[in-house]
Amino acid sequence: MGVNDPEATGVSLPGGGTSARASGDVGSGGLFGTGGPTFLTTKLDWVVNWSRRNSLWPMPFGTACCAIEMMASAASNYDLARFGMERMSFSPRQADVLICAGRVPYKLAPVLRRIYDQMMQPKWVISMGACASSGGVFDNYSMVQGIDTIVPVDVYIPGCPPRPEGLIYGLMMIQEKIRQERLSDHAINRAEDPLAAGHPRASESEIEGLTGPFGNSTRQNRVSGLVETSRIARPDDRLP
Amino acid sequence: MADETLSHPDASRTPHGSAFDAVEQGPRRSDEPARDLASVPTAVPSHPSVAALRAVFGEAIGAHQLHAGDQHVVFVDAARIVDVLEYLQQDADQQYAFLLDLTAVDYGGGKPIQVVYQLWSMAHHRSLRVKVELPLNALDVASVVPLWKTADWLEREVFDLFGVTFTGHPDLRRILMPENYAEGHPLRKDFPLRGRFSRAEQTRRALGLHVEDNYTDFEMGVGRDPQLVAEESDGSLPGDAPRAAPDAAPDPAGDETSAAVPQAESE
Repeated sequence: MGVNDPEATGVSLPGGGTSARASGDVGSGGLFGTGGPTFLTTKLDWVVNWSRRNSLWPMPFGTACCAIEMMASAASNYDLARFGMERMSFSPRQADVLICAGRVPYKLAPVLRRIYDQMMQPKWVISMGACASSGGVFDNYSMVQGIDTIVPVDVYIPGCPPRPEGLIYGLMMIQEKIRQERLSDHAINRAEDPLAAGHPRASESEIEGLTGPFGNSTRQNRVSGLVETSRIARPDDRLP
Repeated sequence: MADETLSHPDASRTPHGSAFDAVEQGPRRSDEPARDLASVPTAVPSHPSVAALRAVFGEAIGAHQLHAGDQHVVFVDAARIVDVLEYLQQDADQQYAFLLDLTAVDYGGGKPIQVVYQLWSMAHHRSLRVKVELPLNALDVASVVPLWKTADWLEREVFDLFGVTFTGHPDLRRILMPENYAEGHPLRKDFPLRGRFSRAEQTRRALGLHVEDNYTDFEMGVGRDPQLVAEESDGSLPGDAPRAAPDAAPDPAGDETSAAVPQAESE
């Protein structure tokens, strides 16, 4: 468990001499490694993040063909459970990741927002597929032009629909995001204005910017400055 | 005679032209002049129901057309549509017991909106499409819910998307668009593709919709004992209370105040 995890390298219990037994067994890395003494909070970060990212329970919000791929991802061939998404949680209060798979019409927007509001912190949101991310080809009167106007989104998965590998990749990006979190930042990261419940995430001007003539898809890049993408790291960025 | 039949297998069977003529002639070369389909004889074969309708209703029966090879279409005066459909449903020689579909078409350009009744007679194995033309300044037609209950939601859909008012409908509300939708009727040809409001306004209105307001306590109590739900409310049986009077249905122009459907059940 996490022997090669760089977060854990050099972490030891306070007063590091107590880890002599572990150092013989596990080597230089791991939770009971032989590194110098360090702060307890660092270890707590690692333990909390480790448990969080390996037990992500998805809340499936499937509205279209992307949901078929999501179901395939959970089935035995691709088996999301390998990565800790053991249980599709159909109740938002027991879920960690909201997977919005498919197009969301305006009539469904308050439902999506309600489900997001009902989820417990910490929570993450995956926008799966072109329609959820940008409205896709449905740039018309009835369709939400990207659910990031409604709820905050952590990972966008392109595709129409994305293959199960794509969804698993996106979930691993969530895991990577969790891995880099710090408990000390949570007051900022997890702060949620109770008055924001039931309201659009984006301001009016931001929605107009996101839903321009060519849709949300051209705005979801770092250059636009409208969507925060810099915090998301790829799983390839893991250190060896 | 046999040679002719071989060379034109359909010649003896279809003396009139059909919509498939152009298909059977194959693709047209780009430098070939456009074919004059008007020269193709388009005599409409008789349809027993149309002949009967003309005998019974006379002037109220308009044009009789043939679409897509074998679909008979008959136009009917909007004022007589319920009489005509009731006759088609009840008469022993017609027995159109099945309303396959009720929809509408807007051809744009100020042309009248057509309300389409697609009928099927299971007894006589016969199909008929009845159309009513409604000018844009008088989009009213009598409801056929008393004839076919399946027309209930179909008429609500036509009302929602085209703005046709069905007089006498028991519960004429929007069915697809949100209850507080105020941008008009989306399937009209003059409706802009992205709607009339800005995206920000559309998003604000969408999230401002309180879904609970549009359902009764019984409908909200999914999975609960209906008897229990009834006792918790005012004691009346669930579903007894009328949802809303037909004349209290949302205004076609629509705004937030008109979209508020009064709660039938007490809290």
